[in-house]
Amino acid sequence: MAKKLNQQPALHKVIMVGSGGVGKSALTLQFMYDEFVEDYEPTKADSYRKKVVLDGEEVQIDILDTAGQEDYAAIRDNYFRSGEGFLCVFSITEDDSFQATQEFREQILRVKNDENIPFLLVGNKSDLDEKRKVTLAEANSRAQQWNVPYVETSAKTRENVDKVFYDLMREIRSRKMEDNKTNNGRGRDKSKRKKLKCVIL
Amino acid sequence: MSKSNMADTFSTVVVRPDFNPEKYVNELTRKCIGGQELQQQRQKIQSLADETSVLLKKNVYQNYMQFIETAKEISHLESEMYELSRLLNEQNSLLSSLTTMSLLGDKIPSTVESEEAVDANQVDEEKEEEERRRKLAAVLEKVEGAMAILEVPGRVLLHEGTLMELDPMDNKPIHQIQAYLLNDVLMLATWIQNSRGPVRYKFQTTYELGSLAVVNVRDLGGLGDSLFKLLAFPDTRVFRCSSAKLKREWLDKCDHAKKSRLAQEQQKRDNTATADRSPSKLAKSESLDSPSNPFEDHNDGPAEPELPEWLVEMPEDLDVCIAQRHFEDAYNLIERARDFIDKNCSNHMSDPVIEEIRRKLDARVKSLIEVLMKELEVSPDKSLQGGLRAARRAVRLLNQLGRSTQACDLFLKLCTSILKVQLKRVKREGATVLYVRQLGGIFFSNLTDMAREFLRAFPNSPNCASAFVGWAGSELTHLTSHLIKQVFMPQSSISTLAECVTCVRDQCDQLCELGIDLRYQLDGQLRTPLIRALRDSREKLVDAVKLRGAEDKWHPLNLQNKAGLTKFIQEMSDIGIASIHTYVTGECWINLTSNTVAFCKLYLALVEDCLCLATAELLYTIDEVLGDVFHAQLKHVEASLKNDKLRSESKFIQKNAVFLLDTLLTIVEHCYEEKLGHKCTRLSSLQEEYAWIKKEGPKQLINSSKPITKYSSSEYL
Repeated sequence: MAKKLNQQPALHKVIMVGSGGVGKSALTLQFMYDEFVEDYEPTKADSYRKKVVLDGEEVQIDILDTAGQEDYAAIRDNYFRSGEGFLCVFSITEDDSFQATQEFREQILRVKNDENIPFLLVGNKSDLDEKRKVTLAEANSRAQQWNVPYVETSAKTRENVDKVFYDLMREIRSRKMEDNKTNNGRGRDKSKRKKLKCVIL
Repeated sequence: MSKSNMADTFSTVVVRPDFNPEKYVNELTRKCIGGQELQQQRQKIQSLADETSVLLKKNVYQNYMQFIETAKEISHLESEMYELSRLLNEQNSLLSSLTTMSLLGDKIPSTVESEEAVDANQVDEEKEEEERRRKLAAVLEKVEGAMAILEVPGRVLLHEGTLMELDPMDNKPIHQIQAYLLNDVLMLATWIQNSRGPVRYKFQTTYELGSLAVVNVRDLGGLGDSLFKLLAFPDTRVFRCSSAKLKREWLDKCDHAKKSRLAQEQQKRDNTATADRSPSKLAKSESLDSPSNPFEDHNDGPAEPELPEWLVEMPEDLDVCIAQRHFEDAYNLIERARDFIDKNCSNHMSDPVIEEIRRKLDARVKSLIEVLMKELEVSPDKSLQGGLRAARRAVRLLNQLGRSTQACDLFLKLCTSILKVQLKRVKREGATVLYVRQLGGIFFSNLTDMAREFLRAFPNSPNCASAFVGWAGSELTHLTSHLIKQVFMPQSSISTLAECVTCVRDQCDQLCELGIDLRYQLDGQLRTPLIRALRDSREKLVDAVKLRGAEDKWHPLNLQNKAGLTKFIQEMSDIGIASIHTYVTGECWINLTSNTVAFCKLYLALVEDCLCLATAELLYTIDEVLGDVFHAQLKHVEASLKNDKLRSESKFIQKNAVFLLDTLLTIVEHCYEEKLGHKCTRLSSLQEEYAWIKKEGPKQLINSSKPITKYSSSEYL
């Protein structure tokens, strides 16, 4: 097992969450293939894997592009459980999608039982600034409240697309290193996280 | 000649089964003398060989043609067989998809059979369940330890296939997996190596579709597009299909199964939803809690403990019944449901579950009514073959559903179109009377049938009965307007009209026995055209009288011979003038003018027709016609009497006048009174007005001193 892990570059599992139509797939495809897909087709659940160089180290990123609309909560929970970091995407042109992030955040925290799970709040469609419904201040204040970074992206212009994925991977990597230090890489101890949670509370 | 003969014998020899070439050649050489003859023989054999080879070629060619034809035939047959098998396959898949559809649509896997449902449906359900179990068991026989799958009722196999499981870390193949997609779970089984028996796989695990995340692996670092992932915490499993197409199929099937499962759950939830659950709350609880949340289950539980399953399933069952055109069953179910709701749920009217069911029931009732109305509707592409009998069912059900008015309306529309079609078939050929008789016959006999059918379909329903009467009236108007167009033409004689009208009237009267009297209406509609026709014929007759009067020479009628006389007397007594023999003089003379006799015939015919047509409303016109025509004749007599040129004939003129007044007019008056029950004042006044002619008669008779003629003639007779 250990041998295998050494052979394979580190794998970081990223989950794209957010309401339908905010551009999760567009961000993913832009990141994966440098292309912008105009026509919208609702995603069911797609997974991608790519080798990238993160700060000089070769790693693999596994992206799970989830459905904005998933009827079964249990299935959604399974998505979230499989992730190590989350890009919570909303569209700056649609307030509903911004409001929905609250719910996604709550679900993720419930499933992962971890306040400090690597998590980025992503305001997509920054190229459509003239249709903006969600102000920068609003989004920033919510990100602050959650203690997560807020980044605005455009899947169309590729603005900040790499940034959100790489930032998230860095977070995941540092979390893993942290965990390895404290737990010797075996067994998951949530006491530390719980402690943190208490601090925040 | 001899050559060919020889060749013939030669060929017969060669053909013989015991032919020995060497022996034959020996014999030939022995027979033949010299090289030349041998040469000849050789040539003969050579030509025979050529001929034979040509024949052989021909034969081969012919066979070859036949072979080709046969091959064509066979390939044709083959394609037909293929087409047939394709059709059968199609049918088969259609049927099987139908069964799966109904299994998915009707049976919710976790529903337990209600003890109350004790009708034929349950038997069917049990049968279906048995069939389903059998099918599934046949599949699962191959899987060791999978029989527990069968324990849950209502499970169906949706998809099956072999997959290669990959290591999620390094994507190396691990082992082959046999996967079964059932309608609620995904079952995985590993391959048993070196298996010889029917059991080839070993049960590994099942995943609930409601909590299994199926992820399409678009890109796994260049491993192709045939992978998918299952996320079922804590497992993450990667599978490879043998092709991208197969993967799509798996994903679609899984998605479809999940959706239909969700739809079922939704439906169940809808059925049991309580009022205090506002939509927003519902959405929230759905998005936050998993369906397996015990709280939610608890919530569902007590909401409808008393509702039997058949009632919950009633809307769907109704849909099925209506779609399959089992209208009676649908009606019975509706009645049952209404009964149940009225009896059990009147105390809590506001119960949202009941309200929901009631709402659904109302919608189904509406759609049933719509379908039934559509049944009755008349459309050009619909055959009227079944006639009214075919409409009975729909009408009855509509009546039962309390839609008599609509049913009646549609029924009458149907009648109209049937009537129209029937009447269209009558072709106008031959005599008008025949045509009218046929038309009327069809109209009234159909009307009778329809009336019977109507009384049967809508008994004790005054509203509908009045609608029928109104309808019959309007249909009659159509008929009469048609008749007026067809029959009342200037050239049609009053006698034809009389016959036609009498015929239609008689047919119309037959309806009376069903309590529908359209006679008054018929007469009313025919009155105006009849008056017109009567007046027209009066004009014509008056003109004719004037015309004949102008030509009247006042000579006695000569019938040429005895036979003519006999025939004439017979004719006259046939039309009612029995006393005609008193006017006979000599061998073949009648002591009346031909004008008088002709008028007599004409007038009597007119009287007969008029009396046939007579109704209270027409009486005035008829009196007028009869009076005017007779008056015209009398005027002619009067003018002739006063005419000096005819003074010598005055006695004879008077005799004619007496005949007209005493014989003809009296007979007519008698007929009139007999037929209509009262005297005709117009004719009586004519009688009085012209009585002087008779009185003046004897005076003139004496004056002209020719009294003997009359008497002598009668004596002579």
